[in-house]
Amino acid sequence: MKFQFCGLLACIVASGSFCLAADESAPAKDPAFIAKAAHAIDSHVAAWYRKQKLNVPAVTDDATFLRRSFLVAIGRIPTTEEARFFLEIEDPTKRVQLIDYLMQSPGYSSHMTNWAFDLLRVTDGKPGFNGNFEAYRNWVRTALENNMHWDDFTNALIASSGDGWDPKTAAVGYYTRDRGMPLDNLANTMRVFLGSRMECAQCHDDPFGETERHDFYELAAFTEGQGMVRRNYMRSLWDEVAEGDRRRSIDYDVAQAMWDRVYGLSLAGSGRGKIRLPDDYQYRDGEPGEMIGARTPFGRSVRISERSSKEDGRIELAEWITGKTGQQFASVAANRMWKRVMGRGVYEPVDEFKSASELHHPELMNTLIKLMVDLDYDLQAFQKVLLNTKTFQFVPNPEPAKVATGDDFHGRQLARLSSEQLWDSLLTLAGGDPDKKPRRTIDDRIYVGNKPVLVGKKNMVQLSKEVLALESEEEVRAYFDEFLKEVRSESGSAKSSEGGMMMMNKVQRYDRNAPVRASELPSPAPRDHLLYLFGQSDRVVVDGSSREPNVGQVLSLMNGYVQKQLVNNSDAHLYKSLEGASTDEEKVRRLYVTILSRPPSTEEMGWMLDEVKASGEMGYRNIVSALVMSSEFLFVQ
Amino acid sequence: MNAKDLNRFDEPSRRRFISTAARTYLGVNLLPMLGGSVATAAPKTAAGAKAKSVIYLYMSGGMSHLDTFDPKPKKKDVMGKTEAISTSATDIQIGHYLPKTAEVMDKVCVINSMTSRQGAHEQGAYIMHTSYDMRGTVKHPTLGAWVNKLGGRLNPEIPGYVAIDSSQESSGGGFFGAKFAAAPIGSPHDGLQDSRKPGNVSQEDFDRRLSLADRLNKQFHGRYQNADVKAYEELYLEAIRLMNSKDLKAFNINDEPESVRKTYGSSRFAQGCMLARRLVEHGVRFVEVQLGGWDTHYDNFAAVEGRCKEFDQAYSGLLKDLEEKGLLEETLVVVATEFGRTPTIKTEHQDGRDHHPGAFSCLLAGGGVKGGYKYGETDAKGERVKDKPVAVQDFNATIAHALGLPHDLVVMSPSGRPFRFADKGVPVTDVFA
Repeated sequence: MKFQFCGLLACIVASGSFCLAADESAPAKDPAFIAKAAHAIDSHVAAWYRKQKLNVPAVTDDATFLRRSFLVAIGRIPTTEEARFFLEIEDPTKRVQLIDYLMQSPGYSSHMTNWAFDLLRVTDGKPGFNGNFEAYRNWVRTALENNMHWDDFTNALIASSGDGWDPKTAAVGYYTRDRGMPLDNLANTMRVFLGSRMECAQCHDDPFGETERHDFYELAAFTEGQGMVRRNYMRSLWDEVAEGDRRRSIDYDVAQAMWDRVYGLSLAGSGRGKIRLPDDYQYRDGEPGEMIGARTPFGRSVRISERSSKEDGRIELAEWITGKTGQQFASVAANRMWKRVMGRGVYEPVDEFKSASELHHPELMNTLIKLMVDLDYDLQAFQKVLLNTKTFQFVPNPEPAKVATGDDFHGRQLARLSSEQLWDSLLTLAGGDPDKKPRRTIDDRIYVGNKPVLVGKKNMVQLSKEVLALESEEEVRAYFDEFLKEVRSESGSAKSSEGGMMMMNKVQRYDRNAPVRASELPSPAPRDHLLYLFGQSDRVVVDGSSREPNVGQVLSLMNGYVQKQLVNNSDAHLYKSLEGASTDEEKVRRLYVTILSRPPSTEEMGWMLDEVKASGEMGYRNIVSALVMSSEFLFVQ
Repeated sequence: MNAKDLNRFDEPSRRRFISTAARTYLGVNLLPMLGGSVATAAPKTAAGAKAKSVIYLYMSGGMSHLDTFDPKPKKKDVMGKTEAISTSATDIQIGHYLPKTAEVMDKVCVINSMTSRQGAHEQGAYIMHTSYDMRGTVKHPTLGAWVNKLGGRLNPEIPGYVAIDSSQESSGGGFFGAKFAAAPIGSPHDGLQDSRKPGNVSQEDFDRRLSLADRLNKQFHGRYQNADVKAYEELYLEAIRLMNSKDLKAFNINDEPESVRKTYGSSRFAQGCMLARRLVEHGVRFVEVQLGGWDTHYDNFAAVEGRCKEFDQAYSGLLKDLEEKGLLEETLVVVATEFGRTPTIKTEHQDGRDHHPGAFSCLLAGGGVKGGYKYGETDAKGERVKDKPVAVQDFNATIAHALGLPHDLVVMSPSGRPFRFADKGVPVTDVFA
């Protein structure tokens, strides 16, 4: 039986993207390690229940487990085939196998991408900026696809510098996305990676916390100096091109490709390690305009003197965050993952670090921190352990949390699907497994105006590399003239640039209406998209998504996308589940499994059969509509 | 709303919806939802208050006060490329990017002495919208939710609070719950999305779907005592009422005549303002329209010019249109933002301006406010408030005052903590005529 299950799952995975290479000895790859770690977590949780004189919650049924695991691990409901298979086989290890299957699915990184985009505020563009963050977005997406470990990921972002298009350094988007607002960027860094809220101290000593404005500036000294690589060499040329008639010529558009999309995305230096106090500095411990050196506010102290010229401040800061802040970095990462899997953090809010000793569950938190370190910050393996716990499998708790912060572990709380989970689930009903579609790739074509040029001859990666290597104003001018000539001659010739096909990979892009995973759509989705309506973050602030209900959502369910793409669309994939079903009972049962991942109760079957009797074929559409509009569909139990 | 309001639904189909859809399908008692405001407990309008509704135009990102409504023409180093122009109000000058707004300044009260302690966007926008600092432990209701909680709806058939191009974070119901949250409009041109039943579905099938969904929901709600689950149940009722309302047309700006469209111009923000006027006309209490992109750290002058282009005609058009239709007296038009920008111009950021919560400007017009009036003053550089500071809470208390709502009425949150419309703010009564 077990063999058969794996066989089918392998079929579904199809592409075989899972890679068994690397070192087999790593704990992440060792099923015994995973099981043991999961057990250790469960015993802490059970001990806590016993201490509170409460019964340890029971483990939930297969159907609830199935739907919960899919939504939590890969962000969508199971397809009909996946659901039927899991529910029908009898194998005592099928839950463990299902988790293996999910963690190998491409859906895992798609779902993680939404999480990271919210956390890091990854957007495609920015008002007033003529470039885009295509390369950075692709860098983040690819890092998650490759399961880059969280410490390496953090390091790569914070220590980044250089070329915005080179795949090795495109992480500079972390800074260029916030160009002109380095202090906000730094405050977010502290919040995201260390759970330290310092944004108040940008302007004044924090009245509620411990951070003083001076501390904040000392920290900002590490990342100070976020200019562009040698853009001054192009300044006079740019001013000329932007003057008068030339501004409306192709010259300007070509120059813009260099000015905004090459230079504008580059990040010079490596962090000065010193900074001037602002003109409105108001405390006795410094003078406005005074130059101060870099110093970390807690953990193992790292300093750079204001007299030093060694730079590398961003590298020092990255090393401090990931390696010299005691347990803080590991704790925040572990707690964020716990929230992802269990629905809420061991401590809340997750971006305000608390040491284990302050918590109701110090042993649990210490275990999680140690696990994060033992797994070498492998978030995929860490989540796999959590998914394998009994704690994850607890029956849903019908009562609201007893403690305001919800950290009483009183079983799992009901939560509305995130906008991305909802969208990806609706897609699954409309078109079957959305993970079979190729993911969006980087669009590295050179755009002049809105048109790609020199396709097949040169891309942004090459252009950026060449332009950033230019070492004088003369070289920039000569390069520009040559580049302009190439573009002009191409637009003059009849040959379409689309025909070029040399070393370029095919660019896979999806527009706003594409039926693909939320992670592949424009970021953020436009305001009249279902994703926005259901609370997708606008990715301007950290974790800005919302699950608040509003009347627009209900209108959309009753009259919008759901009706057009699912209920009234005969080609919708969900109707395929009816093929081969001979009785009305069987058809109703299959619709239930397809939409709610469970069979109907006897009572429900009665209602639905009455509906089919009364409305005939239309009855099935009415059933589909009712099931998708139901709260059970909108919530994860 | 009480039982007699049900008579408003005079067509048979409407009656059927309310009586069957509401009671039978959705299984909710009308009273808890419709009695949700405390309007009956509070004095509805204080004597002298003129405004019934609010159009709240929010400049997201931090609008530079220096380049718009608090120019300092004598200080070239502060002003950069911006010049001051005179306006229809004798002693008010504004930035030269706003020529059409200059024509209507005689209807506007400028508050130049706004001051806030929040210099980060999230916190700044939050306090402007709620009067409170962000806290991990409670979600505060936004102004639109407060207005509906304290004042009730003017038209029970359509939402009392609509947010156009806003973020969900700044249009939530907070601890008042989802029924006080805004109905979101993602595209002013398309109005309220999906507010009509799909064309090819018969009324009978539509009803059967709702009836089935309702049975499923009742069963589910029976199992889980969850506030959000309950909220969805109530929202279905609200949605059906809305779909059957004759006032649904309020959401359709395509009905506006060409002459009116011309007044507003064609920008997206203009469409939002035009929609806001229609909504107010049909009894929506509070409409927010957001205009983003004011975070001009980088290349401030080009960016402000672009934003002003979007704003200028729309804002002046809105005031003219409201006045022409006789709505300006009963509509308070607010222009707000989370903070101003620094007098210092950062050359290394291509002449950018950073956040400046210490001093900034907001506008009020209509709703009984004095036109062509300037309140408060900043110093010569526009850096600090010199005279009559207005804190964020005072500003919000002033909005409540214009509506005749009790800004100091204590409402308890479900967790038993006391909150007010404007925290401890005091209304600036001097701005009222």
